[in-house]
Amino acid sequence: MTRVLDHGVAPLLLIPSVILLLVILVGPFFYMVWTGFTDLHYALPGRDGAFVGFDNFRRLMQDDPIFWHSFLLTLKFVFWVVLVEFIFGFALAMLLFHYIKQHRFILTMLLVPMMLAPIAVGLIWKLLLSGDFGMFTYYMRMIGIFDQQTSVLGNASLVMPAIMMIDVWQWTPFVTLVMLAGLLSLPKEPFEAAVMDGARPVQVFKDVTLPLMRPIIALVLLLRGIDAFKEFDKVFILTGGGPGISTEMLSIYTFRINFKDWDLSYGAVCAFMVYLVVLIMCSVFYKAVYWNQGRSKPTQAVTS
Amino acid sequence: MKNSTITGRFCRSSIVGAALAVFTLGSADAIAWSLEEAAAPYKGATIRTVGEALPPLEAMNKLKSEFEKRTGIEVVIEMYEHSEAVNKVMLDLNSKRGRYDFILQPHRELGRFVTNGHLEALEKYMSNEKLRDPSFNPEKQLYQSLWKEISWYEGKVYGFPFTALTMYMWYRDDLLNDPKEKSGFKAKYGYELKPASNWQEYTDISEWFHRPDEGFYGTALQGKRHEALWYEWLNFLYSFGGDMLDTKSGSECGPVIVNSPEAVASLEYYKSLMAYSPADTLNYTWDDVMALMQQGKVYQMIMWNDATYAVAEDHEASTVAGKMGFDIVPQGDGGKIGQVEGWTYLVPAYSKNQEAAYLFIQWMMEESQQLNQHLNGGATARPDVYAHPDVQKISYSKASMDTNAVAKSKPTIPESPQITDILVRELSGYMSDAKSAQEALDASAVEISKLLGSCAPMKYPVQ
Amino acid sequence: MAAVATLVVVLVLFLTPYIWIILTSIKSRLDALADVPVWTFTPTFDHYPKIFIDKDYLPLVWNSLIVAIFSTVLSLIFGVPAAYVFARFEFPGKEDLFFFFLTTRMAPPISIVVPMFMLFSVLGLTDKPIAVILAHTTFNVSLVVWMMRGFFADIPREIDEAAMMDGHTRGGTFLRVLLPMAAPGLAATAVLCFILSWNEFLYAFILVAFEGRTLTVGIPGLITPHGTLWGQVAAVAVVATLPILFFTFLVQKHLVRGLTFGAVKG
Repeated sequence: MTRVLDHGVAPLLLIPSVILLLVILVGPFFYMVWTGFTDLHYALPGRDGAFVGFDNFRRLMQDDPIFWHSFLLTLKFVFWVVLVEFIFGFALAMLLFHYIKQHRFILTMLLVPMMLAPIAVGLIWKLLLSGDFGMFTYYMRMIGIFDQQTSVLGNASLVMPAIMMIDVWQWTPFVTLVMLAGLLSLPKEPFEAAVMDGARPVQVFKDVTLPLMRPIIALVLLLRGIDAFKEFDKVFILTGGGPGISTEMLSIYTFRINFKDWDLSYGAVCAFMVYLVVLIMCSVFYKAVYWNQGRSKPTQAVTS
Repeated sequence: MKNSTITGRFCRSSIVGAALAVFTLGSADAIAWSLEEAAAPYKGATIRTVGEALPPLEAMNKLKSEFEKRTGIEVVIEMYEHSEAVNKVMLDLNSKRGRYDFILQPHRELGRFVTNGHLEALEKYMSNEKLRDPSFNPEKQLYQSLWKEISWYEGKVYGFPFTALTMYMWYRDDLLNDPKEKSGFKAKYGYELKPASNWQEYTDISEWFHRPDEGFYGTALQGKRHEALWYEWLNFLYSFGGDMLDTKSGSECGPVIVNSPEAVASLEYYKSLMAYSPADTLNYTWDDVMALMQQGKVYQMIMWNDATYAVAEDHEASTVAGKMGFDIVPQGDGGKIGQVEGWTYLVPAYSKNQEAAYLFIQWMMEESQQLNQHLNGGATARPDVYAHPDVQKISYSKASMDTNAVAKSKPTIPESPQITDILVRELSGYMSDAKSAQEALDASAVEISKLLGSCAPMKYPVQ
Repeated sequence: MAAVATLVVVLVLFLTPYIWIILTSIKSRLDALADVPVWTFTPTFDHYPKIFIDKDYLPLVWNSLIVAIFSTVLSLIFGVPAAYVFARFEFPGKEDLFFFFLTTRMAPPISIVVPMFMLFSVLGLTDKPIAVILAHTTFNVSLVVWMMRGFFADIPREIDEAAMMDGHTRGGTFLRVLLPMAAPGLAATAVLCFILSWNEFLYAFILVAFEGRTLTVGIPGLITPHGTLWGQVAAVAVVATLPILFFTFLVQKHLVRGLTFGAVKG
């Protein structure tokens, strides 16, 4: 219900937070966009921020195969980890939902990987994957998957799969958590009706569960997609982008341009591209999950 | 005649008088300059610096209390890991906030800082009577080539060497002298086991000692996509007679020769050593290989003089302390070589305590501080410290001195760190089988030439 | 049953790596670096005092605590009233503004950190923890707004109306009726803010000065110079993560709502 009298006053409460965000986040953001149109470079002399128009954008589009390699690598990463995490997470959620009574307790334990600081996750796996004393490599060798000379972090063809595996380890619990919450909130009637109609479990899944879970599925895919695209901490500490450029994901590349080359103007353009993709994904997310514009109760989305 | 005699006598006595005056004034200065007096106007100030968290800086941290007591100037030292130490300085200098009163930086950053106007040339402090310690004579007391390459840029002095780093060969002396190893080696290769003096010997010896089933390896490469890879390869590049740019000193720009036939040969040879290295070798930097040697898992490697103490002398940290031998890097067509590398004292233009900072730096460069720092894992640039009996006793002093004497300069122009980055990326690509050595070096040459512009044409154009 | 067996396997897979690092933190150096993984050994608690006291890593824990607490408090102060407005009022552009808050939560740190650093330099704040606190607040405020909107929306409007009929003003209703009712949600939100701030790396890495380093920032610096000292490194990892797990279990019930932007109630 709207209170016409309060209409003017209430939104004022929003002002402090909006101002905070404008100053600390949006302001710098626009400054970054502006920097992309200059020649600012901390290391090379004489490049103090003169306007250069679209030069940096041109360089990005035409002259930087490594950027596009990073971009594609990141997309590949996002595709695979989201897919695998979704399948495992959903399966695990179904398992817990149908067969386990104390799923709350189990879930508590499953949360561990996703709540660890991502940089610590990188550190833990650096130890586990070490060729000299890593527990994981030892057992892989024992089983016969690796041989004595196999190195994970030093091997360009194994290292990206390893990073993906770590991400799956880290975030599958998140998918499980959300999917389980979704399953728990589903209404019982459609299921009861289907069973009474004599539908087999697979049919129930296909015709009842999936459609009802659609909003949640979209939510999970998009949230994971956005976060995977931004991936930085783990790769930074495990490989720094190497060997070669085999793990040079977009955030790592942008970091390198900004903080190793100090080419801040070009780095701004790269950073902007990262932001743009995330923004697009956010819009899709917002529309898909909160598909009713003007709704003031987003928590109703699931049960609608 | 009479006049001239009187004039002559007058002249003579004037000269004598003047000489006496100069002498007494001069010696009065020599006697009168003291650190306490020079520092008096800055008493109570705090000077802040930043550097790499390694033994030389830790040694300085212990030494500073004497300076603080004598002058009343407090010294704060921030210690970071290598790349953080560089990052923080770059951000501070560009923000012009003057957080650091003096800094310690890798000498390759010098060009960047000078050309962007971030540094104070030290000439004015060195010629300031109030600040200059007359007994401090860097022109005589430092290895000139090292001082010029590490702390000078385009003919001006910006600092003094904090550490004069170089790389040489480490090997297990105890295994070298083991009779079983000696006879076995001679039987197989036909010559006496000794420190490798050329690359064929280095390969043979690595092969001989490569025993992965026993957890022992012939050598270990610093193959990670990291500066360590570039530094290590430079030894091979120089030794094979190659270089990156065709110049005489670091602050010059010149033709790009990084893709010469010698360079390609050196890179291919370097990779061949992977066969005698641990499996993870492409994930190793200097810290990892140092740890391997400390644990007694490798026979020989090319490593840094500032890491040597922790392996060769520190019995707590190293299982092979006292068992190590050192020699200059094996020789190829380039003859005996080493590389100039170092961290240098520098004073930012935005520092608010430049005089106090200068006094501290000057004090640290005195023989007794340099000796103390060197004995605690430092790497001084003073020949008199190397000649000191305590230093002579250290197992790696000779290799250090020999290498310092033949060290080659590397670029210090503003683009230098970017050149390194390009090479690190391409080298890492080659090492991980993404491309051939020729392709990697050609790609590097093209990019470096483009980066530097017209002063750096490619001497070996890509077909 | 097959289900239980699968579950056990899954749990083992997910928990073992973390258990391993905890074990490593209490193993002697030889045990930690053994070629063959060591599962039974005599524990030593040496590493903890060595790294936190001798090597002076304790201040980093304190810094992490300060940054996390202050950014949480700040986020709540700014965010809770804003959430209330979104939950109870209509105005033009409301959903667009809400979307704006979403984008601030999602902004890739790598895109923002450099200009943020420049901003803080100009303001002279780069030496102080306030820089990181403000940076963390930028993503936590949005979290608060999104989560608390949902919690406030859960409270039926009838409550508001009843309170106002009893003589409360709008402000009074908010402070004395709604807030206490949303207290569990508020607590959960606060804890989630704390966790996200504590775990954060990039902003803290770039924006912080030496004395203000947080624990996460201290981690990369450990890997290189103290490369063989995995016991100490592991000890830092444990301290950086164990408290968070404890807090997680506290807010478990509301975790889903917080992590899905209020879309799922959990």
